[in-house]
Amino acid sequence: MKKTMWQVFALLIITAMLLTACGTPAATEAPAMTEAPAVTEAPAMTEAPAMAEVSFDYPAGGALEAAIRGDYKGTTVTVDGAFEGNDPDGVKFAESMKAFEEATGITVNYIGNKEFEGSIAIRVGAGDAPDIVDFPQPGLFANFVRKGNVVPVTTFMSDEWLSQQYNAGWREFNTVDGVESGVMHRYSGKSLVWYPKKAWDEAGYQVPETWDELLALTQQIADDGDTAWCIGIESGAATGWVATDWTEDMMLRTTSLENYDAWVAGTLPFDSPEVRKAVETWSEVWFNDAYVNGGRSSIVSTAFGDSPKPMFENPPKCWLHRQANFITSFFPEGTVYGEDYGFFYLPPVDPAYGKPFLVAGDLIAMFNDRPEVRALMEYFTTPQSVSGWLEGGGAIAAQQTATQDMYGSDLDWNVSQLVAGATSFRFDGSDLMPGEVGAGSFWEHISSYVAGSEDLDTALKAIDASWPK
Amino acid sequence: MAAKKRQKNLGKLVVNGTLFLIILIWTIPTLGVLISSFRIRDDIATSGWWRVLPYRDWQAVKEIDPKQAGLDPNGVMQVEGVSGTFEEFRAGVSTPDGKQITWIGNKRIGKIEVQEQVWTVDWNFTLDNYKQVLGGQDFKFTKPDGTIQIIPGDNMSGAFLNSLAVSIPATVIPILIAAFAAYAFAWMKFPGRRAMFIVVIALLVVPLQIALVPILRDYKALHLNGTFLAIWLAHTGFGLALAIYLLYNYISGLPRDILESAFIDGASHFTVFTRLVLPLSVPALASFAIFQFLWVWNDYLVALIFLGGNPEFELVTQRMAAIVGSRGSEWHLLTAGAFVSMLLPLLVFFSMQRFFVRGLLAGSVKG
Repeated sequence: MKKTMWQVFALLIITAMLLTACGTPAATEAPAMTEAPAVTEAPAMTEAPAMAEVSFDYPAGGALEAAIRGDYKGTTVTVDGAFEGNDPDGVKFAESMKAFEEATGITVNYIGNKEFEGSIAIRVGAGDAPDIVDFPQPGLFANFVRKGNVVPVTTFMSDEWLSQQYNAGWREFNTVDGVESGVMHRYSGKSLVWYPKKAWDEAGYQVPETWDELLALTQQIADDGDTAWCIGIESGAATGWVATDWTEDMMLRTTSLENYDAWVAGTLPFDSPEVRKAVETWSEVWFNDAYVNGGRSSIVSTAFGDSPKPMFENPPKCWLHRQANFITSFFPEGTVYGEDYGFFYLPPVDPAYGKPFLVAGDLIAMFNDRPEVRALMEYFTTPQSVSGWLEGGGAIAAQQTATQDMYGSDLDWNVSQLVAGATSFRFDGSDLMPGEVGAGSFWEHISSYVAGSEDLDTALKAIDASWPK
Repeated sequence: MAAKKRQKNLGKLVVNGTLFLIILIWTIPTLGVLISSFRIRDDIATSGWWRVLPYRDWQAVKEIDPKQAGLDPNGVMQVEGVSGTFEEFRAGVSTPDGKQITWIGNKRIGKIEVQEQVWTVDWNFTLDNYKQVLGGQDFKFTKPDGTIQIIPGDNMSGAFLNSLAVSIPATVIPILIAAFAAYAFAWMKFPGRRAMFIVVIALLVVPLQIALVPILRDYKALHLNGTFLAIWLAHTGFGLALAIYLLYNYISGLPRDILESAFIDGASHFTVFTRLVLPLSVPALASFAIFQFLWVWNDYLVALIFLGGNPEFELVTQRMAAIVGSRGSEWHLLTAGAFVSMLLPLLVFFSMQRFFVRGLLAGSVKG
């Protein structure tokens, strides 16, 4: 009798524990800023101090100027982000911060990691927000802005300075609900097509200027006995993002910017003639086995990073690859831009929509308001704060004051010139959509569509259904 | 008699054969990773590790330029006595003497190869992967004045030391506490003993993820974030439930007579615990130590949350995540990385495995 009683008790406890474990965690209230925004004004200097010679511009009268004067020497600013502190991006970041650290005596402490999307929510939720966060997705950034965690840059930077450093288009990316809350830092261009230059020149192919020319070239390569395109969308849990990029590029090329913005905002449904047309435009190439290396069936199973490699075989197995400029880090060792490979702008489909460009990049937001943090934020508006990437390759400065001599490679400079010459540019739409769609159902259902397990109707309706209400 | 013996031998053969097969299936992937870790980057990306074994491949013995030979790829072509269309030659046409004629490339820049089948192996081995994992990668920067600056990345030694500094205390502390607790639950009489024990056991089913935010908040209040103490305590807390359960099973199964005679001789609980229980439960302690050590060594999440705030305290698991690059372009380094990070756990396991088996059995057969 006594034994059964204990057993019942044990069962009850275990059930209770399980329920606690499985139950949805109580919504953690958005924590108020733990550090009171101590807006200590730099002490007004009576005489103009001799300013140290620095390699970057800074706004007059701002926190950065005070920092260069040495007012915040010995303080530390913590930066979080989506790359590890010692992977290539981490090293480039550290390199970019050197000029700031030397000029101000402020230490920049980078603590980012690859599980950033999850860990930043935990950190902010626990009231332990880093001072500055480098967001690769404006969508995630906007979530924190709406929760009130982010200090808008307009509270301490003048419009005059920002418009001097940035093209107006870039400033829209960090504007949430009408408030300019962060600053753009660096980006990569996505509307690019790569080709194996040596064999290309030998075969006498020409760079196409229009979509029809591109299709004609694709057919030409097929007639010559090869498959034109290298396409792979496998990327682990993120499988499908390459297809979403193509969709965005085609949205820009087959419909108006207003429709693109409405689509990203969720007011234009996926199941609409515009989106359908965009997907069908690229499907024409993707689903023709004579156009794709390995045929349609291999697209879903080929890793995006491995997909351009057949381009570098001798002779090439495929000749065209559409991807952002970071893809060069996946190219075989020893291949050189301008010799082994080149790129061209993914041509417009309908001339009525001009020459649009798809970009993706990182923006910087401030979570804790201290003068030394403001100083670093101001530094982030200068192209010198991207110098590690400019010199080491891999990203382009979002600041319009960047000059050619800052770039270590012609490639990045040429991409930046292509973007500067575009008639319009838009941010990668899936990064702007809510996470459930942009980093979830969009990837998932577009992959099913490519694999052939779902038709376009089913896929588009399923994505619409997943949009958070 | 003889038939019986033969039957016995046959049975033995079947059992051993099956075991051998299972071991083989289990170890082949590991072997593949080991071999891959010595291959060069482009080889890993383009062909399987089994290419280190001899295989038959077509190799060119003669090349023909179709333009010089006056061949028209749009019609039927005559090459080396065989005829075919462009598509047929692309797939390879066999000649009567066992050779193969293959068109390499497309119609514009292609060539024709006369190929023979030969045995070959890919033995382009390199230590480069290990060099990059252990010694760090080099990063190249082209400065505005045109000079090139090489900045070396971090090497592995710091991460190794940090991982040890986390793993060893995070293994020892929970064992110590759990041994005390298990002894108390097994041999001391106090009110609420059973209820408390059930609560501890019930904690086994609570996933640690739900505790991350509350603990981080407390740590923030205590200024513990990003310190070794924080992660030791976290691992201790997460590991205690299992530790107490395992050790209780063992310690409660110790012979009652030994302990009772000690008590009759006037020993206190502390003396009994240190002089009798601890030495007798070494197998159970060791088996739990292995469990806990492996878990802490391979842990990424807990370290990320409680230690991630401090870049100086990077662990081996974080180093591995960093080494593949932001977009995973250097994934070939994971092959070497896996073996480097495996070394220490393997060492711990093999040096303690005789306790491990005994410890697992010991808890299970008490009646």
